[in-house]
Amino acid sequence: MSNNVISSSLEDYLEAIAEIIETKGHAHTKDIADRLQVKMPSVTNALQALSVRGLINYQSHSPVVLTSRGAEMAAVIRHRHSALKSFFSGLLKLEETEADETACRIEHVISETVLSRMVVLIEAISGREDCAPLRDFLATTMPRIGTEVAEEELANVIPLNELPIGQSAVVVQVDENLRGVKKFADLGLVPGTLLQVEGHAPFGGLLRIKVMGSSLSLRSRDAAFISVKLT
Amino acid sequence: MENKVFKIALAGNPNCGKTTIFNRLTGTRQHVGNYPGVTVERKTGFCRIGDFRAEIIDLPGIYSLASSSPEEKVAFQELLNDEIDLILNVIDAGNAQRNMYLTTQLTELDIPMLLAFNMIDDAEKQGLVFDFGKLEQFFGAPIVTTVGSSGQGIDELKNAIAEIRNNPSPQRPVKPKYGPKTDQAIRSLTAGIAALNLPETRRIPARYFAIKVLEDDPEICARPDLEPFRREAEQWRRQIAARNGINSRTLMADVRYGVIAGACREAITISNDRRRQLSDVIDKYVTNRFLGVPIFLVMMYLVFQFTFTLGQFPMDYLEAFFGWLGESVTAVWPAGEAEFLRKLIVDGIIGGVGGVLVFLPNILFLFLAIAILEGTGYMARAAFVMDGFMHMFGLHGKSFIPMLIGFGCSVPAVLATRTIDNESDRRTTIMVVPFISCGARLPIYSMLIPAFFALKYQALVMWILYLIGIIVALGCALVLKSTIFKGEGEVFVMELPPYRLPTLRSILILMWEKTSLYLQKAGTLILLASIILFVISTFPEKSNFSQDYDAAISAVQDSTLTESEKNAAVSRLEAQRKGEALEYSIAGRIGRGLETVMKPIGFDWKVSSALIGAFAAKELFVAQLGILYSVDDPEAEEGTLRQVLQESYTPLQGFCIMLFCLLTVPCIATMAVVRRESNSWRFMFGQILLFTVIAYTITLIVFQTGSILKIGTTISEPAESTVAVETSGNGLAG
Repeated sequence: MSNNVISSSLEDYLEAIAEIIETKGHAHTKDIADRLQVKMPSVTNALQALSVRGLINYQSHSPVVLTSRGAEMAAVIRHRHSALKSFFSGLLKLEETEADETACRIEHVISETVLSRMVVLIEAISGREDCAPLRDFLATTMPRIGTEVAEEELANVIPLNELPIGQSAVVVQVDENLRGVKKFADLGLVPGTLLQVEGHAPFGGLLRIKVMGSSLSLRSRDAAFISVKLT
Repeated sequence: MENKVFKIALAGNPNCGKTTIFNRLTGTRQHVGNYPGVTVERKTGFCRIGDFRAEIIDLPGIYSLASSSPEEKVAFQELLNDEIDLILNVIDAGNAQRNMYLTTQLTELDIPMLLAFNMIDDAEKQGLVFDFGKLEQFFGAPIVTTVGSSGQGIDELKNAIAEIRNNPSPQRPVKPKYGPKTDQAIRSLTAGIAALNLPETRRIPARYFAIKVLEDDPEICARPDLEPFRREAEQWRRQIAARNGINSRTLMADVRYGVIAGACREAITISNDRRRQLSDVIDKYVTNRFLGVPIFLVMMYLVFQFTFTLGQFPMDYLEAFFGWLGESVTAVWPAGEAEFLRKLIVDGIIGGVGGVLVFLPNILFLFLAIAILEGTGYMARAAFVMDGFMHMFGLHGKSFIPMLIGFGCSVPAVLATRTIDNESDRRTTIMVVPFISCGARLPIYSMLIPAFFALKYQALVMWILYLIGIIVALGCALVLKSTIFKGEGEVFVMELPPYRLPTLRSILILMWEKTSLYLQKAGTLILLASIILFVISTFPEKSNFSQDYDAAISAVQDSTLTESEKNAAVSRLEAQRKGEALEYSIAGRIGRGLETVMKPIGFDWKVSSALIGAFAAKELFVAQLGILYSVDDPEAEEGTLRQVLQESYTPLQGFCIMLFCLLTVPCIATMAVVRRESNSWRFMFGQILLFTVIAYTITLIVFQTGSILKIGTTISEPAESTVAVETSGNGLAG
């Protein structure tokens, strides 16, 4: 077993120590306990474990100092963390704290190879010229996903062909794969349009809807491509 | 300037009342034609406004200036190529939001515009209040309110036109702003396209083409000179779609409706809650899941009765008139003098004109019925109700009406396909509708069925024949729709306009328009074909008959027989002479020539010759057969001909003759309207080929199977010929 490998909680301690030293110049047990929101005795135990592994120099009542090996390992851990964090906040558009916490949880289980490939991906998406449309897309799409409101919205979104008669709804999305999608759009079936199902044709297959003051009939098969939100 | 005609293009959504406005402006000074290559009608008319004449071009009703339908394509071509001075955009005020979608696209053309908010009375009743000042500012075009049906606002409309015409530099429409990113994309593409200096961009701004490229309009993007911009447009689309979280394929529709929604919020308010409209109440019953079909069937019964029963009276008069005309000419024109010309005029021309006009009452009444159905808005409901059923056979809901009319006559049935908007549905319907057993085939059945079948089977045989017609028509439709008429990605989406009371004026104009189109285009063709048919069944004329009929007739006249016996003998002789003459003619020779081909389906040369003659009109088959069997007046001597047939053919042959008559090309009149309606000779000849092949194949199968299984292969004993079928039944002949 290589002594390079330490437990994930020790990694967190090492990372915290490095960060505190960087911001305050020196790291006391109290600072570490505050930062990681743990009790003092736990910190003492962890520091002793790190010291045994030769990653820090630790004596009671004096600040913690990183050994050169410890500093090196802390740098790797921090780089990993910031890469993951920028993935979560920069690409997946998560809130700062959520990005941070998720990075903390994932960084210990991810291999060096996966991480470095991920870094390449992040840098490509956030830097390359031809990825500009993708960046735009992420910027608009990501924030909408998973928020509580969106979840609630999603529950009320149904395909148009399942909308009950008389129920009003707003178009939220028209699938690009709908045949003649432009024609439907020309007739007003674009996101944001209010509509209402008026009825079904006798032999089935046709749906009648009221859109912008006019009645349209369309095939239920096509209507399945149009998602509406109940109002 | 003074002499140049002021050109106005009338544009608007379907059902916005555009045609009513057009009729109001032009009166009856209209010209209806077709756009080349498509079956979209091109209507133009003139209007005198003050001291100048304006030409008004009624563009087809469109929702958008894209190229997703033939209507949209021709409308755009018209706006692009014709030097339009003014676009008069008619807007259904009650549905302004949707209607203004087209308006925003029209503004891009940079042609002076005038907006007519039509049916303003209805809109006001619905509680809509408009701030026209704001809307005028928004579009950069003056607005006039009109009520097409009553003519309200038409004078104001004319004044507004005159004002624009007299203005040396009329106001150009305001180009809408579509949002920063979209405008940026449009600017960038415009700059690129303007640099090309295309000839089109002298009239239509490069910006218009830029927007079309950005929209990925298939027609515009197919132009090789604009090809290089597609990549750039694609990138812009992705960016705009990402920024606004919208679908990149419908991006311009999204932003346009966005812009319109903004304008509507500011300029249109609803003063009271929209009352429940009468239209919706009617629809609760008319398009009801259970009541819809019965109501539709009742309506169709009425249309059928109206077209054929009511049309029968003038038709009888017309037939009588042409009969009388022919006889009068014969009477004043002594026989023997310029014999050829006499026969041509009496039998060829008068007969031909009669053949054209005999359909006229039916067509007039049919189009009157259709005008009412369309004008009230029921037509769209009918299509809605029947679509599910017709769709099983790959047809459109509106195909039902021509099919039904087909039981009366194929000519108006083919004309009735005009109501089907979708080109491939329409062509399929035109192709199969003549399989439906028309009224003119009825005399054939009523002659042959009693000759070959016992009374208890007669109705069944008749029913089987009608059923075969329907099955073959629907079967062919299904096959055609899944092969050559496969819809090119067309989609079904149809507007159901609110019920309206059509004005008498617009109904009459529509009726007149369609009927005169029939007379001009199909009529001439029918006349020509009738004359050709007359010629081939008359010439070459036989001069030496097997016996001297004239001598024989005079011998009869001089004999001591009673008057009635004399008459019978004379007409028998006359008939024999006619039979010989027909046999000698081109038609007779073709019939003989076809004998080897027709033998496998059980036909002798007489049947084949009669079929050639019957191409002029199906009911002539009986007459022709009568002539060939030397029965002078088959209608009067029904029994005689029946007996002759009974003795000459087996019941199987008899059935095959009827089957072939049912499935073969109906008649030249039908072919003429098919040619006219499909706008293609290829289509017409394709149809002749299809019908001939199907009729031959099916008859062959039936005859050969019957022969092998020995079903009805014995010539029956001469039976009582008194078994009669209602020959005049239903009164549908023609």
